[in-house]
Amino acid sequence: MIGLALVIGLPLLAALVGLAMPNRLRAAQVAVGGAAATWVVAVVVALPRFGDAEPVGGSWGHAWGTLSAPAVTFALRADSMSAALLLLAATVALLVQLYSVAYLADDSQYRAYAAIVSLFSASMHAVVVANDLFVLLIGWEMMGVCSYLLIAHYWKRSDARDGAAKAFLMTRLADVGLLVAIIALGQAVDSYRISDVLDAVAAGELSSAMITTVALLMLLAAVGKSAQFPLHTWLPDAMPGPTPISALIHSATMVAAGVYLIARMYPLFADSRSATIVLGLIAIVTMLIGAAFALAQDDLKRVLAWSTVSQLAYMFAALAVGSVVAAIGHLLAHGAFKALLFLVAGSVAQIVRSTAFIDMGGLRRGLPVTFVTGTIGLAALAGLVPLSGFFTKDAILGAASDSAHDGGAAPSWLAWSILVAGLVTAVLTAAYVTRTWLLVYGGERRSPFHAYDPPSLMRWPLIVLAVPTVLLGIAVLEPGWLGGAEAEPVHAWIAVVSTLIVVVVAGLTWLVGQSGDPAVRLGPARPVLAREFGVDAVYDRFAVRPTLDAADVVLHADSDVVDAYVRGASSGTMTASRLLRWAQNHNVQTYITVAVVGVAVAAVLAGVSAS
Amino acid sequence: MPLVWPLLLSAALFGIGVYGVLARRNAVLALMGVELMLNAANVNLVAFDVWFRDVLVSGQVFTLFTIALAAAEIGLGLAIVLRLFRTYGHVDVDRLGGEP
Repeated sequence: MIGLALVIGLPLLAALVGLAMPNRLRAAQVAVGGAAATWVVAVVVALPRFGDAEPVGGSWGHAWGTLSAPAVTFALRADSMSAALLLLAATVALLVQLYSVAYLADDSQYRAYAAIVSLFSASMHAVVVANDLFVLLIGWEMMGVCSYLLIAHYWKRSDARDGAAKAFLMTRLADVGLLVAIIALGQAVDSYRISDVLDAVAAGELSSAMITTVALLMLLAAVGKSAQFPLHTWLPDAMPGPTPISALIHSATMVAAGVYLIARMYPLFADSRSATIVLGLIAIVTMLIGAAFALAQDDLKRVLAWSTVSQLAYMFAALAVGSVVAAIGHLLAHGAFKALLFLVAGSVAQIVRSTAFIDMGGLRRGLPVTFVTGTIGLAALAGLVPLSGFFTKDAILGAASDSAHDGGAAPSWLAWSILVAGLVTAVLTAAYVTRTWLLVYGGERRSPFHAYDPPSLMRWPLIVLAVPTVLLGIAVLEPGWLGGAEAEPVHAWIAVVSTLIVVVVAGLTWLVGQSGDPAVRLGPARPVLAREFGVDAVYDRFAVRPTLDAADVVLHADSDVVDAYVRGASSGTMTASRLLRWAQNHNVQTYITVAVVGVAVAAVLAGVSAS
Repeated sequence: MPLVWPLLLSAALFGIGVYGVLARRNAVLALMGVELMLNAANVNLVAFDVWFRDVLVSGQVFTLFTIALAAAEIGLGLAIVLRLFRTYGHVDVDRLGGEP
C-alpha cells in the first residue's frame, strides 16, 4: 500500500524539487533520480501482482463525504492489469527522462519540462492504481493539463500553441463524460470506490439503462483521451511538441489511459450490448482511417501519430469483442515499440533537423543503433513474425474470430466486421510501415546531413526499448499472467494469414518503392487521405467558427452595448464638469458679478411678486 | 428735506462702489469701491434715523460703529494689498492667484 502511494508521490516530489533546483544539471539529476526511484518502487509493487495474485490496496485520509453524497477517499488498488501498466508507465517515463537530458541539452526551459514530465508520470500512475473514481479523475485531468503544457513546449511556434489548445479542448470536452459518469455511479451505488462499483455491477444492482448510460459516457471520455474517431484529430496536431513527449504521450500515458479506463470498467461494457456495439464501430472506423491517413502523410512524426490512432483502435476492438487480456497485451507491446519509434524519430530529427520525409533517405549507414532499433520497431508495428506486435495483434484478431464463431459480448456481425477491418488494417499497416522504412532508411540521401548515432544517453533508451519490442510476445504465449481466462495463445490460420499479408504487402510496397514514393500509387486518393477527409474542416465549420462568432457577438455586446453606458456616464460627467469649470475660473470679480446680478434679480423678483 | 434725496445719494454711492469692485482691476481701487458701499449704507442709516426721529438715535450710533469698523477693515485691506505688491510686484487682481 505504501508502494502504491509512493509511485504517485515520488514523481510528484521530483517535480516540485526539480523546479526548485538552481541549475540544469541538478534539475536533470532530480528528474532522472526521481524517475529511477519510482521505477524501482513500481517493480517491487508490480512483480508480485502477476498471475492469480490477490489485488492489494487500501485507503487513506478523511472521508470527504456529506449526508447526501458518498465519501471520497484516497483509495488505491493494484491488480495484475494495473501492475502491467504501472511497469510500462514507469519504464517509459524513466527512459524518456534519460533521453530528454541529451535531447533537450540546449533548451533553456529544460527545468520546467523535466518537472512536467515527472508530474505527467505521477498523474498516469494515479490513474492506474486509483481505486476511487475521483482519484482517477484527478489523475486523468492532470494528464490533460500536463500534455497541454508539454505540447506547447516550443510556445513561440504558433502550430505548437494551436496543437496544445486543440488537444486540451478536445480531451476536456470528452472528460465531461467521465465526470458525469462518476457522479451518476456515485448516486446509483452510493460509493465512489471502483471495487464497490464493479461489485454492484456484478451483483446486478444497477439497471441496464444506467449501465448503458454510464458506459457510453465513459466511452466518450476514453474516445477523447485515446484520440478515437470522431475526436481523433488532436493527436496528429500534437506533433509540434518535443519528440520524447510524443513517445510518452503515445505509449505509456495519456492515450493509454483511455484503453485502461475501459479495461478497468469492463464489466459495465460487458453488461451493455449497445455500448459494446458503439465501441466496436468506433474501433473499426478509427483503425481503418488511421492506417489510411498514415499511408499518405509526408512527415515521419505524423505517420507515427496516425499509426498510434490506428493501433489504439485495435485495443478498443479487442475490448469490444471482450478480450481485456488481448487489449492490455497490445497496449504493452505498442507502448514499447511506439516509444522506441518516437525516440528513434527524435534521433533522426536531430540529425536531419527536420521530420519531413523529403529531408531524409539513406539513413542506414553511419548510425547502426538508430537503424537497427528503428527497423525492429517498424517491423513490430507491422506485426512481423517473432516480434511482440505479431503476437499481440494475433491475440486481438483471434479474440475477434473466437467471438465471431462462438458469440460473446459482441454480436456476431460486429465480431466479423472487426476481424475483417483488423485484417484490412494489417494490410494498410504493412504498406505504410514499409513506405516509412523506405523513405527514412532506403534510397539515397535527399538532403545534406552528417549521419551519426546519438549520444549514449539517447542511445541506451533505444536499445533498452528494443528488448521488450522483440521479446514481449512471449508474455502473450502465457496468457495467465494477467489473471484472465486461459486463451489459445496463437491462432494458427490468423497467424498464417497475417504473416502472408505482412510479407506480400511489404514486398509489393518495396517493389513499388524502388521507383520513388509508394504513396504516389494512391493516385487521386492521396490528397484526400492527406487532408484526412477534411474532418477538421467540418469541425472548423460547425464547432470552431460558430464558437468564435458567438465569442465575437459577446465581445461586441460587451464593448458596444454594456460599455456604452459606462463610457456615456464618464463622458457625461466630463462634459458637465467642463461646463462647471468654465464658471470656476479663479476670477473673484466674476464670482462677485454673478452674486450681485443674482441678488439684483432676486430682489426684482421679490419686488414683482410682492406687488 | 424729503427722504428721497439721501436715498438717491446712497444708491448712487452704492452703485459706484459695486462698479468699482467689479470693474476695477487695481486692488486699491477695488478696496475704495468697498468703502463707497459701506458709506452708502452709513448714509442710509443716518437718513432713516432722522426720518424716524429715533429717541435713542441708534442709526447714528451704528454709523459711528461702522466708520470705526471701516477704518480697521481698510487698514487690514491695505496691509494685504501691500503684501501682494511685495510678492507679485503688481496689484492687478486678474493676474493674482498663480505662482509669483
